[in-house]
Amino acid sequence: MTDCAMNTSAANTRRTGASRWFAPSDKLFHGLTLSAAVFVLLLLGGVIVALLEGAWPAFAKFGFGFLVSQSWNPVTEQFGALAPISGTLITSFIAMLLGIPISIGIAIFLTEICPMWLRRPIGICIELLAGIPSIIFGIWGLFVFAPFMQRNVQPFLIDTFEDVPILSNLFAGPPYGIGILTASLILTIMVLPFITAVTRDVFETVPPVLKEAAYGLGSTTWEVTRYVVLPYTRVGVVGGIMLGLGRALGETMAVTFVIGNAHRIHASIIGPGTTISATIANEFTEAVGDIYTASLVALGLILFLITFTVLAIARYMLMRLNKRAA
Amino acid sequence: MDLYARRRFRSNMVVILSVAAALLGLSWLVMILGTLFFEGLGGLNLAVFAEMTPPPGQDGGLRNAIVGTLLMTSIAVVIGTPIGILAGTYLAEYGRHAKLSMVVRFINDVLLSAPSIVIGLFVYEVMVIHMGHFSAWAGAVALAIIVIPVVLRTTEDMLNLVPNGLREAATALGAPRYFVIRKVAYKAARNGILTGILLAVARISGETAPLLFTALNNQFWSLDLNAPMANLPVVIFQFALSPYEDWRRLAWVGALLITVAILALNIIARLLAGRSRTK
Amino acid sequence: MNVQVADTALETEGEKLRTKVSIKKLAFYYGETRALKDIDLPLYDRKVTAFIGPSGCGKSTLLRVLNRIYEMYPNQRAEGRVMLDGVNILDPKQDVNLLRAKIGMVFQKPTPFPMSIYENIAFGIRLYERLSKDEMDQRVEDALQRAALWKEVKDKLHTSGLGLSGGQQQRLCIARTIAVRPDVILLDEPCSALDPISTAKIEELIDELKSDYTIVIVTHNMQQAARTSDYTAFMYLGELVEFGETRTIFTHPAKQQTQDYITGRFG
Repeated sequence: MTDCAMNTSAANTRRTGASRWFAPSDKLFHGLTLSAAVFVLLLLGGVIVALLEGAWPAFAKFGFGFLVSQSWNPVTEQFGALAPISGTLITSFIAMLLGIPISIGIAIFLTEICPMWLRRPIGICIELLAGIPSIIFGIWGLFVFAPFMQRNVQPFLIDTFEDVPILSNLFAGPPYGIGILTASLILTIMVLPFITAVTRDVFETVPPVLKEAAYGLGSTTWEVTRYVVLPYTRVGVVGGIMLGLGRALGETMAVTFVIGNAHRIHASIIGPGTTISATIANEFTEAVGDIYTASLVALGLILFLITFTVLAIARYMLMRLNKRAA
Repeated sequence: MDLYARRRFRSNMVVILSVAAALLGLSWLVMILGTLFFEGLGGLNLAVFAEMTPPPGQDGGLRNAIVGTLLMTSIAVVIGTPIGILAGTYLAEYGRHAKLSMVVRFINDVLLSAPSIVIGLFVYEVMVIHMGHFSAWAGAVALAIIVIPVVLRTTEDMLNLVPNGLREAATALGAPRYFVIRKVAYKAARNGILTGILLAVARISGETAPLLFTALNNQFWSLDLNAPMANLPVVIFQFALSPYEDWRRLAWVGALLITVAILALNIIARLLAGRSRTK
Repeated sequence: MNVQVADTALETEGEKLRTKVSIKKLAFYYGETRALKDIDLPLYDRKVTAFIGPSGCGKSTLLRVLNRIYEMYPNQRAEGRVMLDGVNILDPKQDVNLLRAKIGMVFQKPTPFPMSIYENIAFGIRLYERLSKDEMDQRVEDALQRAALWKEVKDKLHTSGLGLSGGQQQRLCIARTIAVRPDVILLDEPCSALDPISTAKIEELIDELKSDYTIVIVTHNMQQAARTSDYTAFMYLGELVEFGETRTIFTHPAKQQTQDYITGRFG
């Protein structure tokens, strides 16, 4: 047994031989991981540079006018991004308007109301909704949801608000089924799981003591949520909302199926419209001529910058919350 | 007592609305899955896996599209996973305290939720234009770019969960850092990282937008990576929007297949993650 | 207990003490904060030295300097010299991996790797040695024998090390450390997470191991220091207050602070 100690000098010589490779191997692995990390940075830079390059002919020709022009005419090669941009913003706005309260409602249900044993299964079901590919939402939206809108919802909206000023304009025109409103509703379903997941996670960061203290004072479930949970998690909830918004702005396939692809801006939200991503998806492979293609790439760049900004704000908010939690 | 009654009433309203919201969310999942099974199950038969996508009016299957999706997804995972794991390793290990890591983490989060159609445009600009034609390679690269941020994020998260004590213990035995990471940290984080890869596969196998102008589509059987390649999402897109009854039926079958596969991947990933958590 | 102390006394009179590690003018910084100041201390070959003192006194920090494990973290640095067999191990040219193979460490919480018991032991050996299957089996068995764990685990060598009890896990970590054949073993409060029976086993083990190794133990348990060590260093606020034979420190400390601490008046 004492040979352990007696062998040490021999062991030390052997060790020196083996450890010769450690430093270079470690440098190699360090370098590999570092270059992979830097690669991610370059990827983002590459996306921006490549899109700028591809979009340049359009920016050079139309200048700032590209952003504010409504025309989209492949024949005369006059392109402007206003219709798709406004379509993107309007559909996302409606989706958030409806999606936020529903998502927060589900999050409240999952953290405050739902019996313990049901929380995980229901949570997973909501998360599975996020796993369904967007093309499925598209095909479901086109064949199931749009006809339902056309038959039931849209006629009802048109009739109801016929004589109400402003609202009558908002809900004007024949019920096509597809259009801005239908796309917005599909988007609502799609952003739901994202906002719900983040909101539930940040709700769960509220220290139980705080909630127990409030319940102990005789507060109702709503009061605890409104005056304890929401103020405590405000930043995180906003971060989750922004994450959902980023999703809605960039969503392509589902919208492409049901928006109707019309390059015009209408007061009515029932009518067909278009979004940035739907325009690109529909027209890119058929676009002839450099200016047409460049204009579509320019749309892509604008979309990227918009979502980048929204996501940056979202991450900043969530980061602030994490810092406080830590 | 009046005030108390009003408070109770308001709270009950919110409780009811919350339950309604949850039911609404669940009902959508049920409705979508129900439609898929209703429309897709009837058309599901062996021919779907054995025959090529047909011209309008003829019988056929989705064989080329299924194989194309499997192939491009596999290539994307093979390209994207190592990069994601290595970069995640940098953030959690070598560069845990580096300024660079904060920047990369932020950029990665942006890429994680960047619109996938923009990724398609990017690959079109850098690959399709320079090669002169659409190709399966371009499609796979576009998908790989989507894989990277997902794998990077989970790798970093999972490595961060590995207790520092394990790293110290391995280091104290004289193990160099790369050895500690590869033999101890990876081992401890294995299930989590695997979950991330599965989720990434689930995510890309349904992606349509980045394939529209990279891999495009192909009516015929082709395993040539330098040529356009059929894939399920784009076939579903084209067939669903076509006026032909047969094509639409095939689109529903494809939609059912892809959704079931993706949900299965999601559930497996969750089970795996759950198991590693209880350990 | 008394017998053991008497033994030590005989030894010190009979043979000349050899200094294995010599700490000279050591200072340590966490960023701007100085955690250790002016430490001068010898660690004698094949003796057990205990570091005691109230929490935050720097005893664990001092231990973590000896194998330079602190270098895993940024903004931590040591100044001064630590001589191991006449070589300054704080020298930047010193290969840290080799150093750590020579100076083993066991931590407060048991840290079995997420692999089988066998692999846990083989992990460190494989780093530096290419052994045949038989040789490796022998080395694993030897290490487990020495750590008094062999009998309990010999039939489940290929099951996960995470399945062992806390005390067994800690002995597995000790086995893993001695399997690498170090000269010095550092123990950082090795029993603080264990029950009394496991603690007794580990203390017994320390007593056996000291015939072959230079051992340093950090402990907040004064009875443990008295039971297991030959020499004791009492630290307070980052400084070495008193160092000497354990017997002397616990019976006739030179400093009032030491007296106060060991009699439980503070800390």
